[in-house]
Amino acid sequence: MTLKEVAEQLSARVLAGGDEDLAAAATSVAAGDMMSDVLARADIPDVLVTGLTTVQAIRTASVAGIKTVVIVRGKPVPQPMIDLAREESIVLMVTAMKLFEACGRLWDCGLRPRAGKGKAPEA
Amino acid sequence: MHEQQAQHAKTQELLFELRVADVMRPQVICVRPDQTMTELRNLLREHRISGTPVLDGDEVVGMITIADLIAFLVSGESEARIADKMTRNPQMLFSDQLLVHVIRQFDETRFGRFPVIDPQTHKLVGILTKGLIIEGMLRAMERELKEEEIRQYRASHIFEDLVAEYKEIYLTYELIGRDFDRAGKASTQMKRNLKRLGIRPDIVHRLAVASYEAEMNAVIYADSGVMEFRIAPEEIFMRVRDRGPGIEDVARAMEPGYSSAPDWVREMGFGAGMGIPNIRKCADKMHIQSTPGIGTTVSVRIFTGREGEGA
Repeated sequence: MTLKEVAEQLSARVLAGGDEDLAAAATSVAAGDMMSDVLARADIPDVLVTGLTTVQAIRTASVAGIKTVVIVRGKPVPQPMIDLAREESIVLMVTAMKLFEACGRLWDCGLRPRAGKGKAPEA
Repeated sequence: MHEQQAQHAKTQELLFELRVADVMRPQVICVRPDQTMTELRNLLREHRISGTPVLDGDEVVGMITIADLIAFLVSGESEARIADKMTRNPQMLFSDQLLVHVIRQFDETRFGRFPVIDPQTHKLVGILTKGLIIEGMLRAMERELKEEEIRQYRASHIFEDLVAEYKEIYLTYELIGRDFDRAGKASTQMKRNLKRLGIRPDIVHRLAVASYEAEMNAVIYADSGVMEFRIAPEEIFMRVRDRGPGIEDVARAMEPGYSSAPDWVREMGFGAGMGIPNIRKCADKMHIQSTPGIGTTVSVRIFTGREGEGA
């Protein structure tokens, strides 16, 4: 599915990223608030779902090569975080859903962790 | 697949950005309606073009093309005026139209060329063909690519271009403790530098992760620090020295999940006890030297010559 469809599924508001960026495909997701856990993964997901609303979430995405960050629980996103996302060409969106629900919805849509035994189906 | 999509999106974007005036050929060769078909033949041959607008004074009254000329020659007429053989009241484009709209017009009418007029004065300012659109788009793409490409080219050839017995690049960053707006900036910049140097992507990834974890540690715990990178053809060496509290038990800090981080560090998404294990996982060689009350030095080596098995 496209990032635009991800945003629609999560009723998310897009804070950084244009139409062109949102047309990109997403097949894999990782979730977590601990950035080191995200960095420890050998696999690089298309989307990071997190409750962390600091610039470090964007820095982590940038360092790991993750293209999209979804903030959960409708947390207010500080402006420096939005600015950095634009600077680093990372799509940033915020949803009112909680982490568990957001992940569940994306799983229902066929998104999977990138690594692991179960192969991600073609979305 | 990703790259193709990105490339496709880029092409579309250009169609929305470029206007007729950006890609048209200005200074159009034109003919008058009272000129003869023989004159037209000479003109087309001389300029190697296959069609031209017909102008009566300032006004575009028709288009005449090589197809019209052939039809005339086949008919066996000895001579004719352009006015009698041209296509009258041709469709025209405005110079400020976006290419995306213009392309539709090419497809719908199947005309090969359109005269371009100024939207205010309605005077002829140029001509547009599909070939000119393609040329114009290629030029625009080249312009966009050039800047980053030149940087990458220069940087990635630096080791080949410079002649010496030992070739190394040193890059240094100063770290400021507890400056969380900037924390991680050095590592993201370093990642960009390594890409420009043409380092293999898996190695760039490993170094970026190791560097980011080490940078965060220094910014979180220390008052200040220095990150140094030494890039040589066969390896990258990173050293992060901080003036911080030091690590009491280095062996335990290496264990995944062991953390002495206070809550405020965890709230920032760090302190899960994965920092140093992450660095070790990314490194081919790692060394930590720490003195409580003085500071910590983390040294990392990543060999660039061979496939690594790290993250």
